[in-house]
Amino acid sequence: MTGRKLIMTFPVTADSHTLAAYRARGGYATIEKAVRGMRPDEVTKEVAASGLLGHGGAAFPAGRKWGVIKLNDEQPHYLCANADEGEPGTFKDRWILENAPHLLIEGMLIAAFALQVRHAFVYIRGEFDLPYRRIAGAVDEAYAAGWLGAPIAGSAFACDIVVYRGAGSYVCGEASGLLTSLEGRKGYPRNRPPRLTVRGLYQLPTVVNNVETLANIPGIVRDGAATFRSVGTAKSPGTQLISISGHVRKPGVYEVEYGYPFAKFLHDDCGGVLGGGKLKCVIPGGISTKVLTAAEIEPLTLDHASVAAAGSGLGSGGMVVIAEGTCMVRLLQVLVRFYHHESCGQCTPCREGMGWLHKIVDRIVAGEGELDDIDRLIAISHANDGTTICGMGDAAGYATVGILAKYRDEFEHWIVHGRSRHGGRLEAVGAEWALPETVDG
Amino acid sequence: MVEIFIDGDRVEAQEGQTVMQAARASGHVIPYFCWHPALSVPGNCRICMVEVEGDGTAAGWLDIACNMPVAKGMRVLTDSPRVRSRRKQMLQLVTLNHPVDCGICDKAGECTLQDYHYQYNGEPSVSRDVKVRATKHFPLSDRIVLDNERCIVCSRCVRFTREISKSDSLGIVNRGDHSLVRASEDGALGRDPYSDNVIDICPVGALLSRPFLHQARVWYLEPTPSVCPGCERGCTVQIWHRKREWKLNRLDAKLNARIERVTPLENAAVNGPWICNKGRDLAQLFDRPRALAPLVAGREVALDAAVDAARALIAAARRPVALVSSWASNEELAAFDRTIASRFTCRVKTDWLPLPGERVEDDVLIKADKNPNRTAAIARYPGSAFERPEAFPSGCDLVLVWGEGCRADALPAGARVVRMDAWLHPDNARADVFVPISVQTERSGHYTNFAGTVSRFEACFAKPDGVADAEALFASLAAAAMAEAT
Amino acid sequence: MKSLHAEFDALRRRFPPGFEPSLVLPCLRRIQEERGHVADADIDDLVAYLRVPRIRIEEVLSYYTQFRRAPIGRFHLQVCRNVACSMRGAEGVVAQIDERLGIAPGETTEDGRCTLSTVECLGSCGTAPVVVVNETYHENLTPERLDALIEGLAR
Repeated sequence: MTGRKLIMTFPVTADSHTLAAYRARGGYATIEKAVRGMRPDEVTKEVAASGLLGHGGAAFPAGRKWGVIKLNDEQPHYLCANADEGEPGTFKDRWILENAPHLLIEGMLIAAFALQVRHAFVYIRGEFDLPYRRIAGAVDEAYAAGWLGAPIAGSAFACDIVVYRGAGSYVCGEASGLLTSLEGRKGYPRNRPPRLTVRGLYQLPTVVNNVETLANIPGIVRDGAATFRSVGTAKSPGTQLISISGHVRKPGVYEVEYGYPFAKFLHDDCGGVLGGGKLKCVIPGGISTKVLTAAEIEPLTLDHASVAAAGSGLGSGGMVVIAEGTCMVRLLQVLVRFYHHESCGQCTPCREGMGWLHKIVDRIVAGEGELDDIDRLIAISHANDGTTICGMGDAAGYATVGILAKYRDEFEHWIVHGRSRHGGRLEAVGAEWALPETVDG
Repeated sequence: MVEIFIDGDRVEAQEGQTVMQAARASGHVIPYFCWHPALSVPGNCRICMVEVEGDGTAAGWLDIACNMPVAKGMRVLTDSPRVRSRRKQMLQLVTLNHPVDCGICDKAGECTLQDYHYQYNGEPSVSRDVKVRATKHFPLSDRIVLDNERCIVCSRCVRFTREISKSDSLGIVNRGDHSLVRASEDGALGRDPYSDNVIDICPVGALLSRPFLHQARVWYLEPTPSVCPGCERGCTVQIWHRKREWKLNRLDAKLNARIERVTPLENAAVNGPWICNKGRDLAQLFDRPRALAPLVAGREVALDAAVDAARALIAAARRPVALVSSWASNEELAAFDRTIASRFTCRVKTDWLPLPGERVEDDVLIKADKNPNRTAAIARYPGSAFERPEAFPSGCDLVLVWGEGCRADALPAGARVVRMDAWLHPDNARADVFVPISVQTERSGHYTNFAGTVSRFEACFAKPDGVADAEALFASLAAAAMAEAT
Repeated sequence: MKSLHAEFDALRRRFPPGFEPSLVLPCLRRIQEERGHVADADIDDLVAYLRVPRIRIEEVLSYYTQFRRAPIGRFHLQVCRNVACSMRGAEGVVAQIDERLGIAPGETTEDGRCTLSTVECLGSCGTAPVVVVNETYHENLTPERLDALIEGLAR
């Protein structure tokens, strides 16, 4: 067991996602408790006291974000659940959307109550099919049962939720890109200032929270901040839904109590390295976090401080396991190809830099690299560090310098010898895709 | 007032200003591509990054100046080593995929990217990879050609059509380094009478004028300040023509007296930094065939003979009417007034009406009255001209027709006609006396616009031989009047 | 697409006042669901219905990967080629589809039945490799399961 559970507290069955099942688990009792017995600012205080960190990757304290919203300022406030989940390696919000959609809705209702929000949105990436049907179905159920669209528990509080589908753009997972997309435009992120909590959706105060962040809200308000803090570590209270994938025997979503040892998680709970080989390295928190070698990550615990101290970040908890024998040059090629594809194109360093990174790595893979290409990759990464409109430029830079810092020799090898040290391998040894013989072949 | 420091200088900025605005207002230079004082702030080029010094507790940081609110006590550096390094990086990236087209690009010589490259980078590309290819010579409209490879996707053109001309006719399609500026597929850009302003504000040679394409290198040209006569807004403009020292010796001499292009002359009181396309097309207006020969009863005569004949007609007339040009300059009107005007019943004529398809009026710049100086003319004389023969006062025996807009059949049958105009027209020969006169580009003077703002125009070219200045003509005609009086 | 206007009206009522521009994405998605792509006439109609600038819709259609302005095959096979899927055989998936259907990414079979695209991360890394056919995720693919999937499309 990966520590105590706050979210994945029930067995997933054919109807565990329904309103009836959620009610049976005590669902919607907390929003009732909040509107009956608390003031909006008291709810925000409780969330702030809990130390809940955002689960979208930035780990910004949720209560502090909520605290920026000015109550009773006579303008509409908006709440948006970020269900865009586009960070490669991350698929845990999907678990919540599919299996606990009402938990998200109740979390949103409590947040909407705290932030004086009348209209809330779930921005869900366009590719998600079952997760969309589940959350849309849950919203319909909630409307039918009077949790949405009507005053709750005899109070003045009522909230509407619209589920808004994206259409294929990674930067729509960035909070300001998300809102620009929700306004019916290209998902262009925005410069700050102003913060979105001051000028967000249609230039009105908006809170954007990750799905998992909002899913934690009912528990915090139900049991109190102190109870929440008793789980996890001092600096990372609570739990994280870790998405683990890649060269791992039992990939999937696991709820891990912060502070849980990484080695136990990978080797015991997740079945160890696929193919039985040795661990080479791990990308701990989504591809925008720096890769950690086996030696660096094995002694760590799964919490923000521990991973940060090792020079990386737990981010969105999208953990990619990489076995010995994997070619890190080809791995970086996949990453820079992704960033190039997803750049929105607004700002100079990212628009030009992502294509440049991609071309250089492609050229190295084609056997036409030069040794100074490596430092060029690092220079381009630096040119994107702190200079861009949104964090994607920085992220691409971290991914690149992270891999180059640990595996520069593989790049040098390919450049000098014209081929990969590891045969260009991306799959785990012993677990390769094998084209079956054709029936008539 | 917010006290900040820029490069050590104490600056009193205003509440709500950005560092960019405060810097420009106080004479500090921060380079920029995408920022424009009249447009919204996209903050995408990243070239305006400046350093904000730490205060001991917090470290210093760099960020774009165009979106940085001024804060009391902040210490901004616009040219520190860190700023220079970042700026050079940004320029390397802006020019990464930029084609080195300068040799064939019309923008050369007035190109912000060229200037910044030499000023802030000055080194060859550090990339060994192939540049991104895109459409070149793409017809955005009949008037504007687009080179997407040169485009740095600053979005100035898009924001202009969204915020100023409000045609919403430009956008950026695709994403990443495949981003392309494109016009909406319904042809709205071609119907935007302000479209060509995007050519001015494009910081590189991506958006170019099709009429001006490859016509001349800008360093062979010089601008002369003028006023557009297209309507009573009276936008101030720059009329570009060949510099005297670069005149062509072997080719047609007309090329040395040609309007090469017209651009706005920024004017806070009238048109800001913009003009409409009609002003861009002034070459077409001024390039029409000129009347060069004085005529008496349709026969070419010397100027003196024509003036004498006119003088005699004026002296003999008992009920002369003058149709005063609404294109006359303030100086010409004053000369008319102090010389012969008192002999006439004067009315101000509408030289030009809106043409079919022309935008009549809007709330940007275009005014319905398509004449540049009616305001000054009607300050002196009544505005309702006699437009049909029957409308003229009975007994009218002489009409002085000054300028365009009055055809021979609009005049009373029995009256003699003295016509003074610049343009070749069959009606010139139907007048009793015809005197060719100079146009705006051949003299200096002032117009008064609809709001009473007076703007000056300068001479660009010499007037043709044999053509008179209206002011001198009036003086000559007056000599007779004075002799008559004595 | 006039037949969808009643649906669009109902959708509009779910949004707060002033949110009309937000309808661009959901309306385009619905139009594409009906027609298979978004036609020029659909753009004209939507411009008139929503009263947004035409360029806005042209930009949106070009920016998002899921929108298309031209028809494709009846079955759109989208193979994820990002990290986890690449590490679990995505290149083999593409090769197998090419072997069985004769199409490379970006191509459509002669009979117009299947179009193949490679896409970025689908949020399904734990069940890699993944192919999405039209809307549906096909996860935990093996060579055998992929063959069965392809055969199912041929019928």
